[in-house]
Amino acid sequence: MRSGEIVTAALEGGGTIEFVYDANAPRGGMKHTFFTPDRQYAVQFFNDPSDGMNPNIQDRIRTIVGVYNPTLSEENGGAMGNTEKTAEYFRSRFCWPVAIVSSPEFGIVCPAYPKRFFFGEGASTAGLNLKGKDKKSNWFTGRMRKYISPGELGDFRTMLGAAICLSRSIRRMHQAGLAHSDLSCNNVLIDPQTGSTVVIDIDSLVVPGKYPPEVCGTKGYIAPEVIATMEYDPGDPRRCLPCVSTDLHALPVLIYEYLFLRHPLVGPKVYSTASAEEDDFLGMGPMATFIENPTDKSNRPPDLKVTIQSLSKGLEKLFLRAFVDGLHDPSERPTAMEWESELLKAWDRLRRCENPRCEKKWFILRDENDPVCPFCKTRVTDRIIRLTLKSGVRGKKGIYRDCGEIIAYDQMPLYDWHVYSNVHNDEKASTEMRAYICKHRGMWLLVNNGVEGMTSPTGRLVPKGQAVELRNGAVFRMTDRENGLLCEVSVY
Amino acid sequence: MSDYIRRLPVYLLLDCSGSMSGEPIEAVKQGIKALLSELKGDPQALETAYLSVITFNSTARQVSPLTELMLFKEPELTAGGATALGGALTVLADCIKNEVRTSTATQKGDWKPLVFLLTDGAPTDNLDDGIDALKQVATSNIIACAAGANANTNTLRKITNNVLMMNNLTAGDLAAFFAWVSGSIKASSKSIDAKPGEAIQLPPPPQGFAIVP
Repeated sequence: MRSGEIVTAALEGGGTIEFVYDANAPRGGMKHTFFTPDRQYAVQFFNDPSDGMNPNIQDRIRTIVGVYNPTLSEENGGAMGNTEKTAEYFRSRFCWPVAIVSSPEFGIVCPAYPKRFFFGEGASTAGLNLKGKDKKSNWFTGRMRKYISPGELGDFRTMLGAAICLSRSIRRMHQAGLAHSDLSCNNVLIDPQTGSTVVIDIDSLVVPGKYPPEVCGTKGYIAPEVIATMEYDPGDPRRCLPCVSTDLHALPVLIYEYLFLRHPLVGPKVYSTASAEEDDFLGMGPMATFIENPTDKSNRPPDLKVTIQSLSKGLEKLFLRAFVDGLHDPSERPTAMEWESELLKAWDRLRRCENPRCEKKWFILRDENDPVCPFCKTRVTDRIIRLTLKSGVRGKKGIYRDCGEIIAYDQMPLYDWHVYSNVHNDEKASTEMRAYICKHRGMWLLVNNGVEGMTSPTGRLVPKGQAVELRNGAVFRMTDRENGLLCEVSVY
Repeated sequence: MSDYIRRLPVYLLLDCSGSMSGEPIEAVKQGIKALLSELKGDPQALETAYLSVITFNSTARQVSPLTELMLFKEPELTAGGATALGGALTVLADCIKNEVRTSTATQKGDWKPLVFLLTDGAPTDNLDDGIDALKQVATSNIIACAAGANANTNTLRKITNNVLMMNNLTAGDLAAFFAWVSGSIKASSKSIDAKPGEAIQLPPPPQGFAIVP
């Protein structure tokens, strides 16, 4: 066959799809990829034809395309409980296989990922020809970052957004019992400008009750226990295979890379002088040491400035659980849901740096009493307004418990999850702005943009378009409706 | 932080003897260009791979020292003269000794070098001297490619177990060879390789190439 020739492939369940043959088709570890003539879909075949004929692999992929598919609504044959709204949400965050090719050989059809995950014109400052290439995250987090145009790099806020997007996607997978098994900089593409991610290479998922895939992961993202037990046969009970808890190692490695632009385990420590291979095996496997381990500083780079202590206290704790307690004990690792929840809390503590030249532009305000940008060390001079959200305790009238905090910034949007205790910031929530905070003539205001029943501290109704002044000690209802939150203002 | 990243040294040993003149040497030049452009699209390869070119005709010399890809300058290549393959191996041994970092208590060593040897003829100098010199340095993964009918695969088997055979010395086959080299470098810069002493996994050779058993 010649490059450029159009091949017609038959799909399981009827229908055909055309793809363009390419002798130099992009080749991954397991598969190679062709595209449909309009490049809307990728058609992938296994490098080793016997993989494609393996009934275990075929069976697993059929369930991934069907009953486990979060990008299809339940009524269209997708995952249980999935609505069209949540299916739509995840369609842009997963590159989930949509069909199976039955001839000329077994293969899968995936949608091409959204355009923002490909580099466009002028993406490099150093003449790298990036146009049309995938936005693998290590372009932005690794040494090559310096060759990428500043306009492509986003800022700290968008990178935190990408971390939220990824943890949500992985939480959705794990919720269904699926494990990705090969999360890495290559299989999670990232657009720092919009703070979004797309998870690709979905066909090697670990599916409950199905024969596991034969991947062990990508260098730098493989859980230490998987590396440490690679010498055993896959059937040996001592061998650790990719699963949900190994994803829960790879996930925080990616999150750490997004936020700090470095790898959490790559430091100065030399584990063995016998060979690079032995050193790497120990350093990524049985002896892996977090560069920010608070007690074992043997792998700590001397020049660490921004650390997990520069984040929120909640995120710091999660990183310690992931890379200290849980590094060699998978049961200690935080779940994807915990990451999503803690990252969202951090999102509500973001503060714009007052230094117009600050490269990161935003930071997480860790301590209201010591407000300093950890990146450029600029101290906050403006007032800090903190809103503490409280929800009523069921059956105990007048008793409230804290359920969230917001550090205000000018033009901060607020959503349903800031108004109601039973709404969470997730794929189901409305993204319509219900209120916003702004600074007006030296006053901080919370402006109602469509919340029914917002009441002022004196109990007066605040209709749409009107505002509550955010004064120290003020307490008011975001709404007086059922499940409405109470808001307490602290000014620093 | 970048100091802690382990380098993957890659040596290209290229035959520039008289028989390579004309189309073949031009194809090799294009091949290096294509190789660089391909690797510059791969962030992992860019981070880890360092490239050097050693050429040989009547004598052998290193025309490009081991350099990171972003700073690598394509060497001037001309064909003419004999096939000092033994000399090339001696030069390679010296370069590995001088350029490849070994692990010490305070410094992370480089990955085992990856060596691609391309030749279209039989050596005209003493090959055994070169093989002996190479034995003195840290082991490396050598892939030899015998290009065209005059290349001697038996002598290449003395250097390495990984011998490929390309039947014709056409521009198309040489381009395919360099595409395969870049694929191999990319694969090595990503592969797990964490298990000490494991053989490296390279992609299957291009169409029209045979692995010499």
